[in-house]
Amino acid sequence: MKIILVGLNHRSAPLEVRERLAVDDVAPLLQKLVASDEIDEAVLVSTCNRVEVVALTRSVEPARHRLRSFFRRDLDGGNPGDGSQLEDHLYEYTDAEAMRHVLRVSSALDSMVVGEPQILGQMKDAYRAAAECKASGPILNRLFQHAFTTAKRVRTETRVAERPVSVARVAVDLARQIFEDFSDKQALLIGAGEMIEAALSALRSAGIESVAVANRTPERAADLAVRFEATAHGLDELPHLVSEADVVLSCIGGNRPILTRDLIEAALRNRRHRPIFVIDIGVPRNAEPEVDTLDNVYLYDIDDLGAVSDQNAEQRRRETVLAEALVAEEQQRFDGWFTALRAVPTIKHLRTHVEKIRRTEVDKTLAKLEIGELEREQVESLTRSIVNKILHAPLSRLRREAEREEGMAYLETARALFGLDEEPEAPSASAAAVADDAESE
Amino acid sequence: MVIQLHQLTAAIYLIAALVASLGLALPAPRLGRISLFLLGAGVIVHGCGFGAMHVDGKTPALNELPVAVSFMAWIGTVFYLVLARRARLVSLVVLVAPMAFVSVFVAGLRLTDPAAVEAAAAPGGSWEHAHVLLAGSGLALLGVAGVAGMFYLLEHRRLKSKQRIGPRFRLPSLEALDRVNSVAVGIGFPLLSLGVVTGMFWVEKTHGRVWVGSPHELWSGIAWLVYAIVVALRFGRRQGARQAAASAVGGFVFLFFAVIGLEFFA
Repeated sequence: MKIILVGLNHRSAPLEVRERLAVDDVAPLLQKLVASDEIDEAVLVSTCNRVEVVALTRSVEPARHRLRSFFRRDLDGGNPGDGSQLEDHLYEYTDAEAMRHVLRVSSALDSMVVGEPQILGQMKDAYRAAAECKASGPILNRLFQHAFTTAKRVRTETRVAERPVSVARVAVDLARQIFEDFSDKQALLIGAGEMIEAALSALRSAGIESVAVANRTPERAADLAVRFEATAHGLDELPHLVSEADVVLSCIGGNRPILTRDLIEAALRNRRHRPIFVIDIGVPRNAEPEVDTLDNVYLYDIDDLGAVSDQNAEQRRRETVLAEALVAEEQQRFDGWFTALRAVPTIKHLRTHVEKIRRTEVDKTLAKLEIGELEREQVESLTRSIVNKILHAPLSRLRREAEREEGMAYLETARALFGLDEEPEAPSASAAAVADDAESE
Repeated sequence: MVIQLHQLTAAIYLIAALVASLGLALPAPRLGRISLFLLGAGVIVHGCGFGAMHVDGKTPALNELPVAVSFMAWIGTVFYLVLARRARLVSLVVLVAPMAFVSVFVAGLRLTDPAAVEAAAAPGGSWEHAHVLLAGSGLALLGVAGVAGMFYLLEHRRLKSKQRIGPRFRLPSLEALDRVNSVAVGIGFPLLSLGVVTGMFWVEKTHGRVWVGSPHELWSGIAWLVYAIVVALRFGRRQGARQAAASAVGGFVFLFFAVIGLEFFA
């Protein structure tokens, strides 16, 4: 059995291609995919940054064609082109590489922003959808569970996701070092551009409930205010608004700073010197540098935030090395389990073979003896016990050795020694269950 | 019994400190919470140690510096544990646990033989008993306010100088530290004041008059007045949080040397 992954992501395909291929309801597509002869199990991951199919197959070549045609016809069916353009964006991994890729994606090492937390939830959703429509089976179930465990290890044992890198998130992270509880805090956003919108979203998700938006043109502020349940104001209200605000975030055009030292000083007096966090991401600056000399005022401009963001990104990059090592370790562990599945047919064959011999000999002997039912059962039990005890050590060794590359020699020797002249069957999904049993013994 | 309990306390605090340090080095936040749990266990045993002294009918002689430090460490640790759950103060366990260990270990050196325990338990009536407990508790809480103030100033400085947040050790927020400062001063100063009042009754009972003019009396009175000014500024809302933090640090340093330091050098 082989694992194959075909897909595209933010690095291999532009947004318009990813948008075209994104799907909401994956169940019908997955059912269609596993109904084909080439694919035994499948999971479809569809997020804004990637569309990937992980599949289990008995033969790689036909599965590859099937999956590529799945991308062209089923996912990109509405596109009038011949699909050759799409082919250029697709990547493909098999076996160890495919396992590693699934583990890396779950651990957010393949994400646009390394360490972002959303991907794990998206992978869980994709797996759940596949499990519900019975498109995934024992082997992909195991792979995804392993991927989730790996993601948890990466998150807890490295600091790859510890520090934010976007300017808005960095600002919120810094605000957490000043304020303990955001629910009773007030934020004032000056401006109404994209940066303000991103910051507003970050502040909302951090728990700030009371937000005021001030802008030169109050209509634009009102537009933003409606969408984020904030209040809209004109710049003439600034002295009053700054006095009320714990967090002031400004990104507005203009040649002169609107947050002057005098304005902030007066606001501090009004608010009895409670701290104010001023985030100035405007260029040219919206706050006078002298504001930072005031006690209980913490002023960060775009360069300060950028420096923190760069440091955080650098830290993430350093931590990525550790995370990759963890992923490699976990991939080897899964690979060992997956490789061990090849021992299952030989083990089953050997058991059947020996059981057949036992059955024949017991029947022959019992036919000659005149004994009761109880004694017959005891003979059965005795012979079964002898067979199990004799087989225990070689079977355990076979399972262990099968996880290694050179394990094939052991399997061949076992077949030769026990006269299992027929070639064993290929491992099947039920083989995975047997392997599970074997591991738990 | 007192010796064994003190030794057991020191051992638990030491394990808590090691677990917290390991949690910081790995990093593994779960170890921080385990360390907090161990610190709680240590506090219970520590409290039993002081309880054992009282069962003997004696007052722990808190004018013995090691015993005083051990008692204040106990009160301070109890206060930290109460607040640690509410504010984001779990990270401070890596500092609190070693401090608690060192305090108890130092006191343990003094209490290694039964004769020392007997000597450390000063005879006296209920006024002395009340004075020692109230003043010691007040001093411990004002110590906590001072430590919180010190961390506030460190974090304030880091934020002002735009230094990055340490990759492993993150101090609590300024607001949390200010809250600790405020609560500690709010409870600690009344306790200290009650300690001063009960001390006056004790002196009156012993010497027949309230004022005997000892350096301890004089400096304790001055320290109380200094801290009263700190409290008035703090709760009169005439200070910002940064100034309140600086006042708490300065106030406690003065108080400590005026009350404990004087005894030590004398």
